[in-house]
Amino acid sequence: MREGIVGPGACRGLALAALLALSGLPGCARSGEVVAVRDSASPAPGGRFVYPLPIEPISLDFVTGTDLASSSVTRLIGDGLVDHDAAWNPVPRLAERWEWEDGGRALVFHLRQGVRFHDGIPLTSADVLFTYERAVDPKTRAVGRVESFLPVERVDAPDDRTVRVVYRRPFAPALQGWEMPILPRHLYAGKDPEGLNLQRAPVGSGPFKFVSWESGRRILLAANTDYWGGRPYLDLFDFEIIPSQDTALQALLAGEVDFARLTPVQWQAHAGDASFERRFTGLRYTPFFMYDIAWRGDGSNPFFTDPRVRLAMTLALDREGYVRSVLRGLGEVRSSPFRPAALGREGDLPVIPYDPARAAELLDQAGWRIDRASGLRRKNGSPFRFTMLIYGVSEDHLQFSQVAQEGLRRLGITMDITRLDWPTLLTRLRSGRFEAALTGIAPSPDPDSMYTPLHSSQIDGGQNYAAFRDSQVDAWLDEGRGTLDPARRREIYRRIDALLQTRQPYTFLFSPVVQGAVARRVGNVNAGAYGILDPYPGPAAFFILPGADR
Amino acid sequence: MIIFLVRRLVSLAPTLLGITLVAFSILNLLPEDPGATWRGAAPSAETVQRLRTELGADRPTLARYGLWLGALLRGDLGRSLRDGRQVTSILAEALPWSLLLNLGAICLIYGFAIPFGLYSALVPGSRADRIGAVLLLVLYALPSFAAALLLQETFAVRLGLLPLQGVSRGPDGATPVDLLRHLVLPTVCLALSGWAFVARYARASFRSAMGQEFLRVARSKGLSRWRAARHLTASAAVPLVTLVTVILPGLVGGSVIVEQAFSWPGLGRLYLAALEGRDYPVVLALTLLSAVAVLLGQLVTDLFYMVVDPRLRQRLLAGSSGA
Repeated sequence: MREGIVGPGACRGLALAALLALSGLPGCARSGEVVAVRDSASPAPGGRFVYPLPIEPISLDFVTGTDLASSSVTRLIGDGLVDHDAAWNPVPRLAERWEWEDGGRALVFHLRQGVRFHDGIPLTSADVLFTYERAVDPKTRAVGRVESFLPVERVDAPDDRTVRVVYRRPFAPALQGWEMPILPRHLYAGKDPEGLNLQRAPVGSGPFKFVSWESGRRILLAANTDYWGGRPYLDLFDFEIIPSQDTALQALLAGEVDFARLTPVQWQAHAGDASFERRFTGLRYTPFFMYDIAWRGDGSNPFFTDPRVRLAMTLALDREGYVRSVLRGLGEVRSSPFRPAALGREGDLPVIPYDPARAAELLDQAGWRIDRASGLRRKNGSPFRFTMLIYGVSEDHLQFSQVAQEGLRRLGITMDITRLDWPTLLTRLRSGRFEAALTGIAPSPDPDSMYTPLHSSQIDGGQNYAAFRDSQVDAWLDEGRGTLDPARRREIYRRIDALLQTRQPYTFLFSPVVQGAVARRVGNVNAGAYGILDPYPGPAAFFILPGADR
Repeated sequence: MIIFLVRRLVSLAPTLLGITLVAFSILNLLPEDPGATWRGAAPSAETVQRLRTELGADRPTLARYGLWLGALLRGDLGRSLRDGRQVTSILAEALPWSLLLNLGAICLIYGFAIPFGLYSALVPGSRADRIGAVLLLVLYALPSFAAALLLQETFAVRLGLLPLQGVSRGPDGATPVDLLRHLVLPTVCLALSGWAFVARYARASFRSAMGQEFLRVARSKGLSRWRAARHLTASAAVPLVTLVTVILPGLVGGSVIVEQAFSWPGLGRLYLAALEGRDYPVVLALTLLSAVAVLLGQLVTDLFYMVVDPRLRQRLLAGSSGA
């Protein structure tokens, strides 16, 4: 999945990378690497937690609001059938259990008893069915949802508490799509959804109830005292819209918000400061996001059709140096788009090292030799000079591309940089009119998310920007998608990963690590891959220490 | 007077039409059509086509302009591509906040700059005049974002005197006092660069007014210093009023940064977000709105002239009836 798991569920949306870049919220992911903030005091109800949102949510409609900001809010108001913990293992939510039937073609959910929407009406399988139907209805335009429901043949509700999803063929990543919060059918029945205003004032069954949305200012939620999972400790959850990251940090220092993301420079300025550490706890997380360079390998340029050239590019880029010096260590160098767990490996996966000498060797082998007169590499008379597209607003894009430019120059390669705005970059990527492009990729925890960047069916109009075409990889990706046996699945993706290491259709660069700080007055704060709102139950478990309310 | 007003208003129409045409054309020159950017996500080809039809993107530019203009005349600015809401209601939410901020800044600029200009014109070359000049120059040179951080750090974080950002402290309904407290830092930040500009300008126009014969004569005949200052102010007011039209567009531009830094829910932030997300209907509406604001500003200035300067009144009225 490219640039787009946006909160829970298999949401695709190219907005995330833009969002990450805009908010300065870096992205990506190794689960398990989370820091918990726990306090010994016993939780008591009460208090207000203020969370700064860098961007205003688009819509609080559970089905269409799949951008990061919207889903941060909706996952507190609504309940999905399943959810995930901090290590991104599936956990029960509305469904107390589920099982596969029919050789993996059917997924059966058993809903818990006694769940009610915020208006008091019980939640049943009919609501689940309705939510699904609304998500796949083309009129709804739920672009972030449809992808994960494409393989669904039909959804049945044999009784009030059972939902049976039948897939056309076994679909291993199926669970993710069912993190979608469930809508109250009775509010929609026979009405025009546009007129209901449920995208601005939603009703769900989750731990918090919607109170108000003041445009450009705040979205306020209050505790659902009748929550089936128990009343959340907080009285109020207050999302304040604070576009500037500098302001968000100042607001944290002034006590106006309880959490902030810090840039590497901000973190360096405050880490170790005694008064800062007395009031705030630092926590780090790595969202499922990494920067990558797509080398357009369809023969439209004379450079990147040859895998040796692409590997040479990877070897020529000093990614470790960049993470160390520019990111102040707040980044993880990547050579694989997969999580170690998905490949059945423990610890870090090996990384292709910075090795300019080996890069030069490979370029020589590929026929790109140094021209004595100019010091530049040439092949059949033409120079090795190409253009890399970048997203011109992102600091990471700007800084990394300059480092790359310098590294390549030393190898006799001229790289020009073209800064574009996001929509234009996207248009160029989709049309294939580029030689190289620095973009981002947001592979969800399921390795199937690499289907779109790697499968040859995704070259035209899809997200296989490198135009990578390999029939063996296609076959493995198809097999991986339909294989439920975990061991067999890991084996398939190990093979794909091994092949990627030499073929390098993309150079995976690094995952920025988010450095956050949370007020010590709050207890039970956990960070998942997407931060403190991400793992379930998340904010439903937050509490304010006695005597520490604002 | 009424005829003058009507004529001026009518003459605004072609200017506005020109502005809408230019804005529309520039947006259409951008290298892709809005259908591809819908909600920032990756929509299917079918969705894109439907949206293109809805927006009229599959028609020629001129036809689309005609459609848009037709809707505009009916008061329909279309729907936002981002959240599907009516552009008019989005603007209506943000406009009061921007007005509050900008009017506050103008009051602050003039409230400070005119007394200061007058004082330094009365005592030119004094220590206060010179120190003030240097201080104002520093403020003028300070970029808005740096000024914002400095103000926030000092008054909100260190001293804890004022709220740092936003428009209300908590969710429990904003009181006027709370709102005023939230207004202080962003207004001051927005006014900083205007201060230097207007104060220097005021000083210059007071100085030149002071050189006028009638004042010297009046003073020699025993007119008190303060009564002289009153006449002086009236005489220097004309060029100072013109300044509003000069600084207003600057304030509107500057408030993008200030609104961003202080999480102020006004038009500046909306504009930035709409441009970044290629929310065409919102961008067009905001462009139109700021054009109208500038043109109206000029009109108000002309009317003000007529009030403060009888000679100008004669000339403007003569000009309008002679046209």
